[in-house]
Amino acid sequence: MCSRLIIPIVLLLLTACGHVEETRSARQQQATEFNQRAQRAFQRGEYQAAAAFYENALQLDVAVENVNGIAINMLNLSRVNQMLGRTALALRYLDSLLEDRALHYPPVHLAAAAAQKSLLLLQENDAAGAMVWVDKAAAYCTADCNLSGVIDNTRANIALQANDGGKALYWSERAAAVNKGAAPLEYANSLRLMASARLLKNEPDTVPGLLEEALDIDKSLGLPEKIRQDLLLLAQAHEKLGRIELAAQFRDRASRIAATALK
Amino acid sequence: MKLPIYNQRLLAIEKRTQRFMLGAVVVLLLVLMMIAVKQDYFHRSTTILFFTPNAQGLSKGMAVKFIGFKVGSVENVSMQSNATVQVEVSLDNEYVHLIGQDAKARLVKEALVGESVVEIIPGSQQVKQVSRNSVLEFERGQDASNVVENLAGQLQPILNDVHQITSGMSNPNGDFQQALKNLNQATGGFRETAKEFTQLGVSSNKAMDRINSSLGTLDQAIPKLVDKADATLDNVQSATSDIKKITNESAAEIPSLVRNSNALVQDGQETLGGVKKSWLLNGLFPEPEEQVLPVDGYVPLKQQ
Repeated sequence: MCSRLIIPIVLLLLTACGHVEETRSARQQQATEFNQRAQRAFQRGEYQAAAAFYENALQLDVAVENVNGIAINMLNLSRVNQMLGRTALALRYLDSLLEDRALHYPPVHLAAAAAQKSLLLLQENDAAGAMVWVDKAAAYCTADCNLSGVIDNTRANIALQANDGGKALYWSERAAAVNKGAAPLEYANSLRLMASARLLKNEPDTVPGLLEEALDIDKSLGLPEKIRQDLLLLAQAHEKLGRIELAAQFRDRASRIAATALK
Repeated sequence: MKLPIYNQRLLAIEKRTQRFMLGAVVVLLLVLMMIAVKQDYFHRSTTILFFTPNAQGLSKGMAVKFIGFKVGSVENVSMQSNATVQVEVSLDNEYVHLIGQDAKARLVKEALVGESVVEIIPGSQQVKQVSRNSVLEFERGQDASNVVENLAGQLQPILNDVHQITSGMSNPNGDFQQALKNLNQATGGFRETAKEFTQLGVSSNKAMDRINSSLGTLDQAIPKLVDKADATLDNVQSATSDIKKITNESAAEIPSLVRNSNALVQDGQETLGGVKKSWLLNGLFPEPEEQVLPVDGYVPLKQQ
């Protein structure tokens, strides 16, 4: 019995030894290095430097036709240009990804690009265009796609811009259920949207609780603009609850963050 | 009936024990043979000697190399009655004909942090080859610390000279400053005289005398100044030539040190890369991949 087992075990071990690690070209490794340096710069809020590194990574990926890398760095360049306030350029990067007929990008990246485009159009007050692209994002988001929380949040944002508190609350609650425990950044967005929807519906009682939770997450992630927005919404909620002094304190805290002009 | 069977079994056990013992002896002999081969007991060699004031860096078993190939090893390092150190080197006979009596033994380090080896520097080929107990000349090669130490030792007096020159030049009572003062005074006197000459327009003879006197002072001061300047330039030139000399001396050592350290770092990186890729450890070091920034479903406040 034992001797019968030994042969498969030895063969298994030999197979493991013979496993050849997939090798990547020096150019591809260099692209990865640029991408990682860009990620670090982005996390530190050095968006200009991040854009330069992503461009280098993209150039290398294009040169070796690394389709996955091209999609990743196009998406990243769109994000970083959005942070730099260059919305038109951010949209151009997304369009060149979404309208490329020569290369076939993985659907998960196309879903991300469509969702990103929807958010940018919403930022430009184009709710109709945002709706079109969020639907496309949902269509692309099938297997191996973890963007459903983002898509629901985008729908909640669209509803909020249309002053539809009921729909905004529905989509944001759905998004919160998906994002909780999976994506803290997106969960905080869901909480903020839930709070905004409740304020729109004139139901401020539970709003401070939601926003305190969002504030804790945003502080842990170090996102000044979102912290400021949490504080402003908290001020609004306390005002509606008749706590004028507390509301003033939150406004004061928000204005101090605004003075730093950091995103 | 039972006794013969018992005896037969005993005989069988005895035979098996004998075979086992025989096998063990064969294995033991093989091991001894391998040790002997490894220790070069079957290898014919010639012992040569060299002497050194101290045994630092020398040890028994150390490799002996000739034009980069191992040709022997240090057999023994012993202290002599006159407090010198005798080093016995065992050279493989097949290489002995390549080494002349005027060859030198040099203690060198193979890399910046590598092992020390004794390197045989070939002599002239016309000279008779070494034989048993031939004595070679010994010298120590420079390692990184020696080079740096020598460089520092040779730079120190130059720095002292430069310091002395600059402090001499800045000292208000020093020759250089005094000469400048003299020159300044002389030009001041000259200017005054010229002024008097133009303004008064009289006593031209007196003024001319003063001019002559000022020019005389200038005549005295200028050669002095030129001498000082010459001396200063000589010192600077001497310092420069010292630096050039040291640079030339170190030129041969420093690039090799830099090359060695570069090679060392590259080796280290390659080794680490190899270790990371080995199937036992590659799970611990995942290959980095390009990362996508998460899509942020957030729309800034002003638009809401």
